[in-house]
Amino acid sequence: MIFPFATLEAKWKSHSQRPFLQLIKLFIDRAFHGSGDSESEELDFGTGLVLSLLALPGAFYSILLFDKYGSFLQWMHGDKHFDVLSIALSDEYFLIVLSMVVTGVAVVWRWDSIFPDRRDYANLVPLPISTRTIFFANLTAIFLVAGLLALDVNLVSAFLFPFVATASQETALFFLHFAMVHAAVVVLSSLFSFFAVFGVVGLLMSILPYRMFRQVSLYLRGLLIAYLVGVLCTSFAVPSLVGHLPKSPVRFLPSVWFLGLCQMLRGRASPALAILGNLGLMSLICLVGCALVAYAVSYRRCFNRIPENLDLIASNERPIARRIFASLDRIVLRTPVQRAGYRFVLKTLFRSERHSLVLGGFVGLGVVLASQFLFAAFSGQEMSVNAGSPAILSIPLILSYCVIVGLRFAFAIPVELRSNWIFKLLLDRSKPECIPLARKVLLTFVIPCVIAGIVPFHRYLGGWTRAALHAWVVIAWGILLSDILLVRFRKIPFTCSYPPFRESAIMLVVCYFLGFFAYVVLTSQFESWALLNPLRMLLMIPPTLGIWYGLSHARTGMVEVDKEVIFEEKPTRGFEVLDLQV
Amino acid sequence: MLEARELTKTYSSVPAVGNVTFTLGPGQVLGCLGPNGSGKSTTVKMLTGLLEPTRGSVLFAGQDIREDLVSYRKCLGYVPEEANLYPYLSGYEYLEMVGLLRGMPPLRIKKRAEALLELFSLYPSRHGGMSSYSKGMRQRILLISALIDDPKILILDELLSGLDVTSTLILKNLDQGAGAEGKSGVLLLACFRGGGASLLTPAHPAKRRGYRSRRHPRHPE
Repeated sequence: MIFPFATLEAKWKSHSQRPFLQLIKLFIDRAFHGSGDSESEELDFGTGLVLSLLALPGAFYSILLFDKYGSFLQWMHGDKHFDVLSIALSDEYFLIVLSMVVTGVAVVWRWDSIFPDRRDYANLVPLPISTRTIFFANLTAIFLVAGLLALDVNLVSAFLFPFVATASQETALFFLHFAMVHAAVVVLSSLFSFFAVFGVVGLLMSILPYRMFRQVSLYLRGLLIAYLVGVLCTSFAVPSLVGHLPKSPVRFLPSVWFLGLCQMLRGRASPALAILGNLGLMSLICLVGCALVAYAVSYRRCFNRIPENLDLIASNERPIARRIFASLDRIVLRTPVQRAGYRFVLKTLFRSERHSLVLGGFVGLGVVLASQFLFAAFSGQEMSVNAGSPAILSIPLILSYCVIVGLRFAFAIPVELRSNWIFKLLLDRSKPECIPLARKVLLTFVIPCVIAGIVPFHRYLGGWTRAALHAWVVIAWGILLSDILLVRFRKIPFTCSYPPFRESAIMLVVCYFLGFFAYVVLTSQFESWALLNPLRMLLMIPPTLGIWYGLSHARTGMVEVDKEVIFEEKPTRGFEVLDLQV
Repeated sequence: MLEARELTKTYSSVPAVGNVTFTLGPGQVLGCLGPNGSGKSTTVKMLTGLLEPTRGSVLFAGQDIREDLVSYRKCLGYVPEEANLYPYLSGYEYLEMVGLLRGMPPLRIKKRAEALLELFSLYPSRHGGMSSYSKGMRQRILLISALIDDPKILILDELLSGLDVTSTLILKNLDQGAGAEGKSGVLLLACFRGGGASLLTPAHPAKRRGYRSRRHPRHPE
């Protein structure tokens, strides 16, 4: 008797060798490993690690809920017969948002890998495969990736959250119902997010010329990231507004539609929520249909015309940019390395998608935090009343903090490492040019915005003195923060490799949080108090000078070897072998 | 002018290059021919200072290049084996960056870059992103970046693999012009039967030399 598994395996093997399945495999691999013109894959984590990372946020959040749903704690709070479904509403909403955001960010990140590109065209079209087969293989791969992402992002939380939330309940049926509804809703919301981004890409590719699509795509991706970060950061405030439906503006949020669907499936939806739940379901179906149409049109339009697009995309020289750089050369950038490096850094930041997205994420976070502070400052009061409030004063501090930290973070992400030979060849490694260059980049992002934004705004709110003092604080703090972040910096930004995982990563995150507290919260509180009597601002001088002195002392104390420019950062090891040979 | 003294490179006791010795005077051209893995690129990297020799030294104007690499590299134009460029920069932006890194004044960069772009037929596409450049165009950008500061020494590592006939002829004329002026020592590396060998013949046979490198058992270049 033949073992049936062996036959099945042999059948699967012969089936999987077919061109169509090979193409699907190729496109799925592309989605996880990336493509595009760049041949360097410094941030290629591998499929397994990517899937694990995507599942982590939901898992962590579910674990953190153990305390909230523990029956003992509920009993301690005096809730002997608490309603799990009403308590779980805010967490349910957060998990819906989380699944949408994680999926959305993943799709935005791999934006260029969704559609077949030049490389695919060059490799696949000469083969005896029809373009229709390529189309259907890519489409199937897209659906599989969408399903895989939706399942993976929610895999752990779909089990863990219902388990945690219903731990105090006695019936298994309750758990099963809760878990199934939760799983269905988060998976559907993930799919919504996936097809929303996919539809936007397809639509843009269908209607815009290729060159314009490339230009618009970067800004749009930044906008999408900012929107997703915004939705995530405001998710704690939304559940309380759900009670005000149908008039509340939260009815426009797709995440609220899926909350409505969840409540509807549980039989707990108000009429307004039930309408939104149906809307969510209908919009998902429509979205998938629209995305498919847009994809088919864009495929027909773009893929078949790739050879025509191979022609050079030439742009004109921009005289304004040239003039700005020329004046910066005269005033700020004093050495040839700074001049070349500054141009290189700015162009990389705005043209490398990876770096633009990272910076966009930090700026988006800053905008969201600032808008929340602004909302708190102006809620129901006159603007002039709150002019000197810590919330108003903290807004430029938040923005500058996020921009500086975001830029510093982006500097460490390498780009086209194989091309850094030109720096290796032409740079004098013993000259300490890296810190001045990086500092100047950081500050040119902050100081002009302070002068153009804060000074007129605070001049309008509280007069010249207040505007000047506040601008001084933001600029001084920006310079100090830049110097702190660059204290051991010895690379030309983007030209240095880095170890994939740093042992100090968690410590860094903690430091960023504490830094935010000191930079934004404490400073704005102090400033608010000091602005009542401007002479009090003199108290800022000693700590500023103290930090500045400490930094310069630390820098002068470094040995010369530690100041040399590096192009490769090795991971720190537990044991170091000292080469003491003479 | 440029002298290599017993240049040797080994990787974990596996020899890659052994005892390469030569002297090049002004206006001279040296070609290095050899099969893949024979150590041509390793020799070039040692000559440019990108790789430290295990033994031996490179002297420029009688001075070891390791003593002042920066000044040496100011006199050096180098075209690497592979055209690794920043794809999101335009050709002109890349040349501007190289010129600035070399410490050239902006006006001179503009003048030299535009003249060379015109010469190598890249002027119309100078503001296009290099990601859209063909292999030959990328090679030409590299060549221009090596020539932009009018270097005393020009080192080309398998340059001609992506260049068309016109560009090769232009390079040949530039080389002959430089040779006639007695201006630079040009070192050219070409692979076995490579097109680069054509630059060794026939204009100034007296000034042209060549050496053939042998294949080593294993060469981790």
